[in-house]
Amino acid sequence: MIIAERKPFEEIWNMVAGYKKMLVIGCGTCVTICWAGGEKEVGILSSQLRLVASRERKELSIIESTVERQCETEMVQELRDKAQEVEAILSMGCGVGVQTIADVFEEKPVFPALNTTFIGMPQGEGVWIERCAACGDCLLCWTGGICPAARCAKGLLNGPCGGTRRGGKCEIDPEKDCAWVLTYRRLEKQGRLHLMERYYEPKNYRAVKRPGKIEVIRK
Amino acid sequence: MGKNIGIFLCDCGRSLKNIDFEMVRKKAAEFQNAAHVGLSSGLCLKEGLEEMVSAIRGKDVNWVVIAACSPVLKETVFRRALEEAGLNSNPLSMANIREQCSWVHETDVTEKALEMIRMAVNRVRLLKKSRREEVEVTRGVLVVGGGFSGMKSALQISRLGLKPTLVERAPTLGGEGFYVAKPSPEEIIGSMAKAIEEDENIEVFTEASVVKVDGDVGNFSVRIRRGEEEFYRKLGAIIFATGQMTEIPSADFKQTPGIVSEQELVKTLQTPEKLSRRPETIVFVLGLSGESSRLSTLSVLNNALAVKERLGSEVYVFCKNLKVDSEGVEALYREARNRGVVFLKFEGKPKIESCEDGRVRIEAKELLLADEVALFCDLLVVETKTPSSKGAEALSSMLKAGSDSQGFYQDENVYLYPVSSRRKGIFFVGSCRGDLDLTRTWMDVSSVAMNVYELLSGGKARVEGDKVKAEPDRCQACLTCIRVCPHSAIRLVRLERSKEAKQLFMNEKRDVAQIYNLACDECGICTSICPAKAIEFSGFSDEQILAEIEAMEEGRIVVFCCAESAYPVVDSVGKLGIHYPPQIRVISVPCVGRVDLIHILKAFEKGAAGVLVMGCQEGACQHLEGNIRAKERVKYAQGLLQEMGMDRENVKVVNLGPGMAWRFAEEVSKVAERIEEGRR
Repeated sequence: MIIAERKPFEEIWNMVAGYKKMLVIGCGTCVTICWAGGEKEVGILSSQLRLVASRERKELSIIESTVERQCETEMVQELRDKAQEVEAILSMGCGVGVQTIADVFEEKPVFPALNTTFIGMPQGEGVWIERCAACGDCLLCWTGGICPAARCAKGLLNGPCGGTRRGGKCEIDPEKDCAWVLTYRRLEKQGRLHLMERYYEPKNYRAVKRPGKIEVIRK
Repeated sequence: MGKNIGIFLCDCGRSLKNIDFEMVRKKAAEFQNAAHVGLSSGLCLKEGLEEMVSAIRGKDVNWVVIAACSPVLKETVFRRALEEAGLNSNPLSMANIREQCSWVHETDVTEKALEMIRMAVNRVRLLKKSRREEVEVTRGVLVVGGGFSGMKSALQISRLGLKPTLVERAPTLGGEGFYVAKPSPEEIIGSMAKAIEEDENIEVFTEASVVKVDGDVGNFSVRIRRGEEEFYRKLGAIIFATGQMTEIPSADFKQTPGIVSEQELVKTLQTPEKLSRRPETIVFVLGLSGESSRLSTLSVLNNALAVKERLGSEVYVFCKNLKVDSEGVEALYREARNRGVVFLKFEGKPKIESCEDGRVRIEAKELLLADEVALFCDLLVVETKTPSSKGAEALSSMLKAGSDSQGFYQDENVYLYPVSSRRKGIFFVGSCRGDLDLTRTWMDVSSVAMNVYELLSGGKARVEGDKVKAEPDRCQACLTCIRVCPHSAIRLVRLERSKEAKQLFMNEKRDVAQIYNLACDECGICTSICPAKAIEFSGFSDEQILAEIEAMEEGRIVVFCCAESAYPVVDSVGKLGIHYPPQIRVISVPCVGRVDLIHILKAFEKGAAGVLVMGCQEGACQHLEGNIRAKERVKYAQGLLQEMGMDRENVKVVNLGPGMAWRFAEEVSKVAERIEEGRR
């Protein structure tokens, strides 16, 4: 799932201050689940914007709306009537959502309220961690299901850097586990430690040509 | 039927003199949809209630607002009156114009009373009729553990007509918690085991373990494994009577023949003739590592006396503290002293060594003599440590039943004592939940039997249908509610999509959260945290809370009060006649865990000067962590205010316990003063 977090209020306010009528759009999928841009967050941000506007004696009215997925043109198009009423749109979706909205409503300025951070998973209540770097050349079959590109601070492919701390922690961030220690332990459990000896050529991080596009043709 | 609101005012025997009721009556009649405004001097009395019911009938009233004393006192009376008159009692909202208005101000408070009534009217408009539902429950009860407390529970429950299923890990019943020579373990345990065997109502699995439990209170499905076989049972409640493991901690001693456990000593005492020679000196050691338990004190005293009686040996007890607060233990201690048992209070860690002649030498610093004391003994009896058993730990964590800081089961929470757990239908008895002696365990057993009886005896449980409900079409299955529910009342289920949704989506079924009514304790923590706003808490929905805020004038200080703790405290402020600033407006919530960021922000949007969130003291929340969540949320809200350039101290959390009326008055006055100063 795509993980994002809300931008600081000041930054958002500076983007949109001056518009009198705005549409704040939430997204019901990834960013709802990571507590960044769902219906609840739309309510909170809108309330903050109205409060500051009224303190600064600025006119501001907000339409709040959340779509199932901001990255679907059809779903965003459902908001056409609402979009026509406003001067600007604030998207609480990931970067893809913002662009979908911007494409659909080309005549309106669209602003991002979130910073899209990584592809990850929940580690418990309110904690999300990165798991995939979207490198386009998956190595997980060799590393015990632990991604060195996303989980090693240095993205090393041939074992740990030598700075691994006591307890298998990363030298760059002692809060985090060393991906290669995890890999070693996992492979040990599976009796596949020989995979540690495999040598990797320097990784082609440009396996995906930017901008990425995948076409799946159903036969 | 039209939307007709009936407003019933009560001047409490004309005692609320600082409210102009005629004025209130006149103004209230102008409220939208107001069909009737009645004024009584004793609404809670028979005549008052009858008058109210006949007005409701005559004017086709379907929403009722009562402006009178605190709902804590009379809400049930009013609800019952409505129900007896054949009306649905749910669309009722009360304005507490006595304890929280008239009694706390000296000046005229007609306007405040009117505002409070307007809040209640706004809220009642959004209340729906409630629907009672009956849920089938199974009359079987799983008892895990066949020791003293487990056996006792099974027998007691069976006597009440329910069907216990007893699961014990060992080959025989009896457990291992308690070893005394007199009465012998056989006498206590044996008779109970026999009674269980003879009771056809009790199903017993020995050498068995519980491997999986699904479902919730009333309908747990339990998988029991015995050897290769597996058994499935549908059971309504679960009682943990897993007791404790007994082991001699290897870190404390090197195990040699002269060092024995209480258990081994009791065996020796029962067949003294098997001894090759009579032990001349026996030493008991208590409290070697950590605190000694009530049960071990009891067994040491009991066994020391038995040694005196049966072997006549010299007896020394090395101890730190004796726990003599169990029934009869003080007398036992005195008797032991009279019989010549010597008690030595040591400090630090005694040195224990085995000698070549088979004896054991113990040396320790005696506190009263302030000197080292060394003794040779033939037998050294050590206290067995009591960690909870591994299997039980796995089961408890599987059930998310909670445990305390000492490693016992059951959370440290006043609402759960003596035997309840955070999950409805799961109970703890005996030494698995604390350091209990036999009398206390007895009390546990009676308590759990009554709890289980109340829950299951009818074969049906009554619940209010859809009180808290996750809307399947809005739920994103993010699992947040499932992770945060303190009572584990929410599950992920596969549901058919609604008709409208089916047209939109290809897959007709999807995973959504479902709240199990009988297990839900109605705190609203899930409702607040749901990022998709998919959970509706009837009576405390966002709309209802915001509608109350909507009715307030500007400049108010909104106080969200936990209905269990802070709300009664605010009432007691009224009873004591303590005065506080008139701009305080209280909104009652089932738990402060229900107070959400949007409520706080909307209050400020509406012009509130400050927001206070008042819940229980930490560790005393009925929903375990509602007040801690409130604290975190308020901290977050302070951050939001700060980033908007507002004073972060305008929102604050306060923990109130019973009897803290002055604290309430102090806190609200402080906030009012700060805000006043800020204005100047």
